[in-house]
Amino acid sequence: MDLSQPVEENYANPKTCFFHVLFKASALAFYILSTLFANSFVIIFVITVVLAALDFWVVKNVSGRILVGLRWWNEINEQGESIWRFECLDQEAVAWGIFGIFSMVRLEVDYLLVVAVCFSLAIANIIGFTKCRKDARNKIQAFASRTIASRFSSTLQSAFSLV
Amino acid sequence: MSNSHSDTVPLHPSSQSDIDEIENLINASVQSGPATVLPARPPSPPRASIPVSSTPFIQSQIPPPPPQSSSSNQKVPTVAAAPPPPPPYVGNSSSIAATGFGPAPNTLTEPVWDTVKRDLSRIVSNLKLVVFPNPYREDPGKALRDWDLWGPFFFIVFLGLTLSWSASVKKSEVFAVAFALLAAGAVILTLNVLLLGGHIIFFQSLSLLGYCLFPLDIGALICMLKDNVIVKIVVVSVTLAWSSWAAYPFMSSAVNPRRKALALYPVFLMYVSVGFLIIAIN
Repeated sequence: MDLSQPVEENYANPKTCFFHVLFKASALAFYILSTLFANSFVIIFVITVVLAALDFWVVKNVSGRILVGLRWWNEINEQGESIWRFECLDQEAVAWGIFGIFSMVRLEVDYLLVVAVCFSLAIANIIGFTKCRKDARNKIQAFASRTIASRFSSTLQSAFSLV
Repeated sequence: MSNSHSDTVPLHPSSQSDIDEIENLINASVQSGPATVLPARPPSPPRASIPVSSTPFIQSQIPPPPPQSSSSNQKVPTVAAAPPPPPPYVGNSSSIAATGFGPAPNTLTEPVWDTVKRDLSRIVSNLKLVVFPNPYREDPGKALRDWDLWGPFFFIVFLGLTLSWSASVKKSEVFAVAFALLAAGAVILTLNVLLLGGHIIFFQSLSLLGYCLFPLDIGALICMLKDNVIVKIVVVSVTLAWSSWAAYPFMSSAVNPRRKALALYPVFLMYVSVGFLIIAIN
């Protein structure tokens, strides 16, 4: 079949990708470069955690909708965006995990708190999307098998009606 | 609607209704996002296996969708040979257009604002349910059905910030201690109730304990503005009583009546320690 249907949704993707990456990158960048921006730990904590929470919300709501919607398309047509997005989630969690190890080694317990919060948000997103993906995949398989079965039976019916 | 996205082959009239049925099937299986969120809706609607709202995923991941598979099985025998690929596209474009992204060429901000407004209204409604007198308080099953963790997050961070601003020295430590105490305290209190054999949902309880911090937030703000010790003690006592009153019905009904005190005392202790922190900061 022709693949021109998801054109409208694909227009939305660049902006989605931009926002998806924006908050993630700014949370990590702000944490790393925190001493350039602010002297106070409190400001660093609040801004990093707020950026991480906004990223979590964006990924969950915005990318989640695209993921769910697009996954139907992707499974039938083309892979690409959803896989990229999912891998990006893993990398972000790994990055926060490494920062956590650094702050443990340096015995900075208050920075460990920041990293723990951001890490838990990243893990929550990953778990949510894993379940979502498995669930969507099961639904697609079930739907495909149902429609294939129904198509098969209706083809048989039409074949018998012609005879 | 479906004709605008179909391929070039004109569809048989009898297959048009089948396409509509397949669309309904897809719309039923894809969570189309709650347009209106009622404060006391059941926590696990059967269709909600895909988290679209801002609540953490576990709430909506719990139920497998047996009702919709049974309903779609009833529809399947009547579905004729409409080719599978176009109808999912058609159905999804309508469901996506209807649910979140609006007219697709528009900016991303339009549906995001809707989601933000919905989340904010949920925070406000949860706050009113938990902290202020209302008819649903005595039925903890209904209160905070629609829990979220954004409200508690804001309140904990606000309390930490207020304490940090009030402190003249060691601002960072004060903030870190307040945040860690409240976050870890909420988790431990929830585990306490669960280990006592109580029946609560983990995130619902976290959400409740976070919302019950709202009176202490107000108390901390007043104490920051007015530095008199007597005023501080009075304000903190009043807000402490208010917080405990807010948390009481939910916690007490979750456990066995003989273990009520075991569940309630740690909650009260945590709020008392936060109260002392507010008074002692100068």
